[in-house]
Amino acid sequence: MSRPETRRRRPGGAELAPYAILAIMIVALVLVPVVTQYTVRTANIYDIFQNFASYGLVALALGITIIAGEFDLSVSSMYLFGGMVAVLSGASSPVLGIAAALGAAIAVGVVQGGLIAGFRLNSMPVTLGGYLVVLGITYILGHNKSVLYDNYTVGLRLDEPILQIFSIRSLVSLGIFVVAALVLRYLRVGRDLRAIGGDRRAARVAGVRVDRLLIGVFVVSALGAALPGALLSYSLATASPTNIGFDVLTFSATAALIGGVSLSGGKGGAVGIAAGVLSLSVLQEILAILRSPDYVSSLITGGLLVVVTIVWAPNLSEWFRTARVLRPAEERT
Amino acid sequence: MARVGIEPRPLRLADAALAAWIAILAGVTVYGAATTTGFLTVSNMKAILTAASFVGIIAVGLTVIVLSGNLFSLALGQTAAISAMVFLYSLRWGLAAAILLTLVLGLAIGAAQGFVVGAWGANPIIVTIGAAGLMEGMAVWLSHGQSIVPPVDQTSWEHLANPVLGLPAPVYVFIVVTVLLAVVMARTRFGRQIYLLGENRVAARAAALPITLLTVGAFGIASLYTAGSGVLIGATSANASLLLVGSYTYDAIAAALVGGNAVTGGRGSIARTAAGAIFIATISDMLLLRGYSTGAQILVRGIIVVVVVVLTNLRERSR
Amino acid sequence: MEELSKSFGPVHAVRGLSLDVRAGEVHAVCGHNGAGKSTLVKTLVGLVRPDEGVIRFEGQELSLRNPQDAQSHGIALVNQELSLVPELSVEDNIYLGGLDVPLVYRRRRLSENARAVLDQLGLRHVQLGTAVEALSIGERQLVEIARLLVRDARLLILDEPTATLSKPEIERVFRATRDLVAQGRSVIFVSHRLDEVFELCDRVTVLRDGRRVATHEIHEIDRRSLIEHMLGEMEGAKAMGAHEHTDAGSGEAVVRIEGLTVPGSVASVSLTLESGVITGLAGQVGSGTSTILRALGGLVPTATGTVEVHGKPVLLNTPRRAVAAGVLYVPNDRQREGLFLGQTAERNLTVSRLRRLSRLGVLLRRRVRRTARELATMAGVSVERLGSPAASLSGGNQQKVLLGRALQLEGTALLALDEPTRGVDVGGRAEIHNLVREAARKGTAVIFSSTELDEVLDLADVVVTIFHGRIVSVVPRAEASAPAILADMTTSHASDGGVPS
Repeated sequence: MSRPETRRRRPGGAELAPYAILAIMIVALVLVPVVTQYTVRTANIYDIFQNFASYGLVALALGITIIAGEFDLSVSSMYLFGGMVAVLSGASSPVLGIAAALGAAIAVGVVQGGLIAGFRLNSMPVTLGGYLVVLGITYILGHNKSVLYDNYTVGLRLDEPILQIFSIRSLVSLGIFVVAALVLRYLRVGRDLRAIGGDRRAARVAGVRVDRLLIGVFVVSALGAALPGALLSYSLATASPTNIGFDVLTFSATAALIGGVSLSGGKGGAVGIAAGVLSLSVLQEILAILRSPDYVSSLITGGLLVVVTIVWAPNLSEWFRTARVLRPAEERT
Repeated sequence: MARVGIEPRPLRLADAALAAWIAILAGVTVYGAATTTGFLTVSNMKAILTAASFVGIIAVGLTVIVLSGNLFSLALGQTAAISAMVFLYSLRWGLAAAILLTLVLGLAIGAAQGFVVGAWGANPIIVTIGAAGLMEGMAVWLSHGQSIVPPVDQTSWEHLANPVLGLPAPVYVFIVVTVLLAVVMARTRFGRQIYLLGENRVAARAAALPITLLTVGAFGIASLYTAGSGVLIGATSANASLLLVGSYTYDAIAAALVGGNAVTGGRGSIARTAAGAIFIATISDMLLLRGYSTGAQILVRGIIVVVVVVLTNLRERSR
Repeated sequence: MEELSKSFGPVHAVRGLSLDVRAGEVHAVCGHNGAGKSTLVKTLVGLVRPDEGVIRFEGQELSLRNPQDAQSHGIALVNQELSLVPELSVEDNIYLGGLDVPLVYRRRRLSENARAVLDQLGLRHVQLGTAVEALSIGERQLVEIARLLVRDARLLILDEPTATLSKPEIERVFRATRDLVAQGRSVIFVSHRLDEVFELCDRVTVLRDGRRVATHEIHEIDRRSLIEHMLGEMEGAKAMGAHEHTDAGSGEAVVRIEGLTVPGSVASVSLTLESGVITGLAGQVGSGTSTILRALGGLVPTATGTVEVHGKPVLLNTPRRAVAAGVLYVPNDRQREGLFLGQTAERNLTVSRLRRLSRLGVLLRRRVRRTARELATMAGVSVERLGSPAASLSGGNQQKVLLGRALQLEGTALLALDEPTRGVDVGGRAEIHNLVREAARKGTAVIFSSTELDEVLDLADVVVTIFHGRIVSVVPRAEASAPAILADMTTSHASDGGVPS
């Protein structure tokens, strides 16, 4: 019978793409004072890392599910859910609030992961349902409106500049990224994760505990979305059941993809995703400096996502090849 | 020699589970109907149908994408909003022109996405997420952040919103376009080929089906229908902005899934989606009448989606 | 000296089979298709439970429940379908899924261990950190073997390991195998490549019709006797030459293939296919027969060469172009690539001709139903089954539906059938063969591939043997003999450079 078709190879340069993009963004930032009267100050760098703190972990969460060969559509509502639970249960102690948010996230992750692994379901419709369920719960918890968090000093502490450009929130995010990078590279789970995304059948045959790993993946994904949501809610001193004008899902997907995560699974790492998130954060800061209206950011992020998806589309080169009609002399069969 | 057969036992089990689920749904509906005050009234029925119509039109268009094996589109809410805005804006050139322009735009937006997915194999979910972002950006940019309202001197559009014979026009449109699409999917070559494509993409390629054309068609139809719904939404609200996106995307997908269409493609029908849309509208209405909040509605919708997805895919896997 | 012995009762593909393999030997298992080789392998590896009989391994009686079980006892399989994850590195794949790999696993000790095993297998030049997808098929196979060695496999079963390997890669596998048995492990080598059997193995067992017909020390037997054992009575039956294989064709060249090459599997194949003539490509698994047909069907974009249909050069780089040129390819994997299992038989039968059965895009239902009925009757499928999903049909009926969809299609110049009777019983096979002959009689050129000798001899007017992607011989049926064909299918002649790269 026919041999196994050789998998389409990603160009080697793709490994460097996230860093190239980040470099481009940084160069653009540096060029801003050349184009405008504005001088780039440490406050801007601080903003960039704050943005990273707010959304970076969600990109990591989504990225991990994609590396494992799945897709968690529920991250955007987990984000809001984390915020709501933290605010509601953190009245007396913010730590308690965070713990509650994380605990709830674990529960959701176990359920989603359990359904997907146990029934061998496609993760998209299940996480779509999960998205609705979690969103509904968020609304119910907040009685359909935003909830204020009285302990606003917590937010101030979280956002206090450290070394001028960081804050507790951004350091927490960066720290978790470091841990994730180490785990993915040096621990067995990291390799197994890429195995189940790269070739699930082969991984199963080789003896990897696929089902357990899948559940773990969705738990991590839920945690990765809930934690930054919780911290952001403390920072804003409000938990809201809706995202006003910002789509966490689009941002995370774009950051993950330009960060080198492959949609076919098995490829990608925490460092790349961090670069992807930073790239987008720098971009947003540039737009803010230029006083660009919000929609430009939407346009660029959406456009980037479409471009990246096309560039890494599996049949792109084949289509170009077969679309050309050669002259009879150089006939190809 | 080895026989290729199917395990009869799991099939029966999954079918029994589905039957049980349908029975539960029917039971809940009947119970709800009996115990909810204000449910069994003509005006309430009309309200249900009206609510179902806007989502339903989008959902049946989306079903073609689902049946083709391309999962679903996450750009439909934005498409509807943009369509409403384009429609209201174009009314200055007349009702017919406005409708035509909006529909053509919708078709083009969808066809472009379909091409990228069909010809180049790009991931449909991600492409539509990106397209949604692009559309949001474009919408705000072109409208300068303001809502669009119909021109003052035009009232032709009101026909689209006014009741005809007691039922709002959108309901009629829903019924007509649903029947139309159901016929197309059941009786045309295109429809047949979509089912085959969704059933087994690899075999479709080997059988020389026109995969790119079919995918462009699927996404084009979904977007076209969504644009149509956008026209009606715009006419009904007399006001259009991105706020219109609301939950249309997820509601439409929920309708298609709850109706029992397999998310992997190849199995299901337009009728199922219409039933799903009506069912969701019914449950939402019941919850509303009983005083449940937005949150509860969303939650219930989510639970139904998850349960039906599990049951549907159980049944499919055992075939 | 430890002995392994297995004896099975009636698993339906294998009957009363007894086999013993000694420690430190390479034991070949040969047999034509359907002889029971794969069932034997599956039983040893834990995929199939024998109805009767016993597996005794290193003194212990084994009852294997699943492949993991077999692996924990030290029995391991390497076959065509590798279980490596291409995105991961060589080292990662070697330790993938291992039972006692520690949590933090990138330890020097493990790397050194992996390095040693790779060197032992002759992969000195392969870095531990290279992604598997960058390796050739032969190297990948050795990596898979490396994984099994790290798990201390005592009995390795190599199932057709060399089908897709180049000469130097085959040498490496052989060297590695010899080293392994020198350490006291045992290897079962399942293969059609008789040359390799004689080169590598210590003993050989021949299976036929599910039974063991002979076991010999390799130096006690020669190629001719081996083939005779494999063929059994087939020779006699075929001598009767069941069908008239005249020069049935009108002689008109319908399709001319010149220099068809697919990097890595087919090297410069040139054939002329005439109207009404059934050409049979005889070749074993991995020989390239399937690839040739797929290239004709438009499914191999990397194929080069020239193809002319009715004298005009055609572009066959997509299936649609192939169909437009009049070449209809019927896939060999009917479940995965051929049929739409959840759709009805009627839909499957009519999939290729929907345009003709519709007007302005609307399907003419009555015509569709009538056509489906005609095709079903022609193909020998009961009309009552038309409304059932294809998944519910028997293997034979499924195959008939798959073939049926390619029949009677206007404008067909060439039918390319890939394993037309795979998984079909004798009765069904005869029916399908008649179908194919009917199609040829109507003037279509037919080319088919088969790994089964008797099918080739029964159906083909012209027999083309393929080995390692090259044509070995082209012989009209009247002059073909079973042993010669089999020899050509299983042996490399002279010094060919192995699989073309």
